[in-house]
Amino acid sequence: MTVRKFRPPNRLAKMIKERGGILAQDAIAAAEAGVESLREASIAALDSTLAEIEERFGKGAEGRGAESFESLYVLASRIIDVSAFVEGTGLDRAAMSLCGLADNCAEAGAWRWDAVDVHLNALKLLRSVGASLPAAQRDSMLQGLYQVSHFRPDES
Amino acid sequence: MTDALLPSTRINLERATVLVLDDNGPSLDILSQVVSGFGVKQLHRAESVADAQGLIRTKTFDLVISDVQMPVTDGIEFIEWLRREGGETNRFIPVILVTGHTRTSQIFKIRDAGANYVVAKPITPKVLLERVFWVAREDRAFIECDTFVGPDRRFKHMGPPPGTDGRRKDDLPAEVGEAQTPNLSDDEISNMMRPAKVQI
Repeated sequence: MTVRKFRPPNRLAKMIKERGGILAQDAIAAAEAGVESLREASIAALDSTLAEIEERFGKGAEGRGAESFESLYVLASRIIDVSAFVEGTGLDRAAMSLCGLADNCAEAGAWRWDAVDVHLNALKLLRSVGASLPAAQRDSMLQGLYQVSHFRPDES
Repeated sequence: MTDALLPSTRINLERATVLVLDDNGPSLDILSQVVSGFGVKQLHRAESVADAQGLIRTKTFDLVISDVQMPVTDGIEFIEWLRREGGETNRFIPVILVTGHTRTSQIFKIRDAGANYVVAKPITPKVLLERVFWVAREDRAFIECDTFVGPDRRFKHMGPPPGTDGRRKDDLPAEVGEAQTPNLSDDEISNMMRPAKVQI
């Protein structure tokens, strides 16, 4: 097998140090201001995603057995995407745990509905009171979720 | 090792042409706002790999920031395509992958996709700018062979990027700090170097 090792020109490297430009602190501040302008729309998207998860995968969803693992994974990923706007609630970590659960279910080829239900309840709780929960309580709850999502019956 | 990005560091991305790719609209909006805030004037958005491939075929980019998890074709396949078929002007550009969660089955695929860096979502402007600065300043060689095209994966572990705590349990801070014990004497150093007979 032929292996070629070389150093291609990096145009970005030249540009970034050209005269002019802005200070890093100003770039970060401008980016943060731009992101902040998306707060309302992003939180609406977050709540809409949470509602869709409940509608399609909640306990009362009649057709949830026919849903794909991928659909739940994608919806949980969308929560993570916009979770910077609800920082401190633990929603991002709960959604990551749900992604892990969907991934594990896909690997096993079977749903673990008890684990899905626990995650959906946790997401609802964290969305409403996550920021006001004592940090230790929130952390132990998230730790529990992680254990549930990564539980493998064959290894217990 | 690249320098740390300090608040007073001046960066110029006005002439950079950047492609951001994410299938989730709100996430793409966030990425776009962040990149625009960095002073990028030529920003192109794509909501699918097919759209991104179309842009790559017709424009010259200086940086790509792409989501990993996407339907039909994901970010990993896109970067693999870019590194092999992206045309000579775009094949070797810095690529930052962004992902909220990595599937167990994709850990090695992401490593081998040919990206320069992987950043965890949710994106924050500070972290993304640090990584953009890092990929602009790193001097890793490119490797091209039958099974891989991208920045050399076998670079020496130089510790976490400057200004970060690192993710590994044994990551040490970049600052060495003051010596905790006296320096070795010349004799002690000589003794360590002296050839000696050993019983085998």
